[in-house]
Amino acid sequence: MKKFIGLVGTNADHSTNRMLLQFMQKKFKQQADIELMEIRDIPIFNKPEDKVVPNIVKEMAEKIEQADGVIISTPEYDHSVPASLINALNWFSYGIFPFVDKPVMITGASYGTLGSSRAQLHLRQILDAPELKARIMPSSEFLLSHSLQAFDENSNLKDNDQVEKLTRLFEDFLVFVELVNQLTHAHGDNKKEAENFSWENI
Amino acid sequence: MKIVGIVGSNAEVSYNRLLLNFIKKQYSQLFDLDVIEIKDIPLFNQSDNQTESAPIQKLNKKITEADAVIIATPEHNHTIPASLKSVIEWLSFEIHPLENKPVMIVGASYYDQGSSRAQLHLRQILDAPGVNALVMPGNEFLLGKVKQAFDENNNLKEQNTIKFLESTLKKFVQFVQLVTRLDESSDQPLPEEDLHVTNTIDTTIKDVNMSAEDWVEQAAKKVNAVEGDTYVKLNRGILTVDQINTFLASMPMELTFADNNNQFLYYNYTKPAEEMLADRVPGQVGNPLALCHPERSLKSVEWVIQQLRSGKQDAVRVHVPTHGPDKFVVHNYQAMHDDQGNYAGINEYVLDFKPVVNWYLKQTGQKLEGSTDSLSNSPKHDVDAGSGATTKG
Repeated sequence: MKKFIGLVGTNADHSTNRMLLQFMQKKFKQQADIELMEIRDIPIFNKPEDKVVPNIVKEMAEKIEQADGVIISTPEYDHSVPASLINALNWFSYGIFPFVDKPVMITGASYGTLGSSRAQLHLRQILDAPELKARIMPSSEFLLSHSLQAFDENSNLKDNDQVEKLTRLFEDFLVFVELVNQLTHAHGDNKKEAENFSWENI
Repeated sequence: MKIVGIVGSNAEVSYNRLLLNFIKKQYSQLFDLDVIEIKDIPLFNQSDNQTESAPIQKLNKKITEADAVIIATPEHNHTIPASLKSVIEWLSFEIHPLENKPVMIVGASYYDQGSSRAQLHLRQILDAPGVNALVMPGNEFLLGKVKQAFDENNNLKEQNTIKFLESTLKKFVQFVQLVTRLDESSDQPLPEEDLHVTNTIDTTIKDVNMSAEDWVEQAAKKVNAVEGDTYVKLNRGILTVDQINTFLASMPMELTFADNNNQFLYYNYTKPAEEMLADRVPGQVGNPLALCHPERSLKSVEWVIQQLRSGKQDAVRVHVPTHGPDKFVVHNYQAMHDDQGNYAGINEYVLDFKPVVNWYLKQTGQKLEGSTDSLSNSPKHDVDAGSGATTKG
């Protein structure tokens, strides 16, 4: 069975993105083991001169490294990804490179109508940076709008159409992971490029 | 023109900081740039609201008071650094100081790209409804390969770059003027000032007639005010009340304290009204500001307080030319703020600048250009030219 990390893209105590990932964890437990990962205890990234990465980040990076893929669920703050998620990704590309060639599925929930669409676009561009270089599943937006009303009292998604769409996307993601595993030719280059990508010396 | 320059990185070494410092130094004729750091701002968390914390309030105050903002951003992971995003999130959560504020984006990076992608993201972020900044269109300034860009004195090396940066900054100054005019035409009038002090605040001494001649004595009794050799702990030190009085009496200016409720609470009483630059009498203390001024100047008084309370101006200065050519007397209405940045009233200090300027000229061997009395010939300002407080009755 595939092992995935469900990265909660916010440090907020209450988050419908966390609820969405928890729902996916429960819903797809036959197909995959999804472990939720929180970013709220990661210290603020300040590009330390000594390049020392905090232990909590190292441990998380190790888990990502081991996983078959990552599902990131992001809210939208000011038309973009929350600072706390950018912060986590800054660390995950500072001397450690757990995202290189890692299959990633992006989902997002928002209180409003647009369902974090702009944040998801930014997140795609961010994950495509040479020092992250993830393999993001193309053409697979899942936008959960009006997310405060989207779950029932058992934390299940209410709208059946949405549940079906999410299910199909997740099935695609399973195939995508297999595909990516065959995209091995450039892996060495990508890894090297990320590692050579120095924040100082290009 | 006052502009705040935000260093978009919390890193110890930042070329964006160098760039802003260079702009401050090189283009000081165009505007005053206050370069501010974001490293003390905590990571945004909507479940842990720190809007009221000192670093965020300080930033809020500076941006609110500035005419415009320049943000210098590096690029991390194809976007702006988490630390800068975090600042913008705080400034769009419960407070919105960037709303309708003209903003220019510049950026420096180690690569050829010069933070181009980060700048595009930043434009979109600043355009979000909670932020609502007015970002200058076009006029990108991207400084690539920064490691080679500065000389050993932290000046940009390339003359063409310096010229281009100057032309961009000049356009920004025009943009700010344009936007400010738009803004003024749609300005809501500021709230009216309660010059008669019909309301009370926490520090108001209640149930004492504010216009009483002996308000000080009555009010002191009411609150058991300390005096004489009683010690008072201050930020930072300990003095007796007598020592505080001695200290304030020695100030080379006339000091007046009006609280944020427009009540006149204190002046450093050292001489009779007729010997003062702006006359005050002991019986006036405690009065609402409306009673300290003639009816005809109340509109001007209100205007000054509105400027200070709203933060539109930090100080309003009025030259009062009625003292003859030997003096240059200025009434300085300086806004006071508590340590949370809240408006706390007016410090009006009345100062004759002439001895200060004369001393400076003598020390530096300089002379004023033009007529010998140019210092006292400045045009009469019509704001409250009837001067501050006038003798009662």
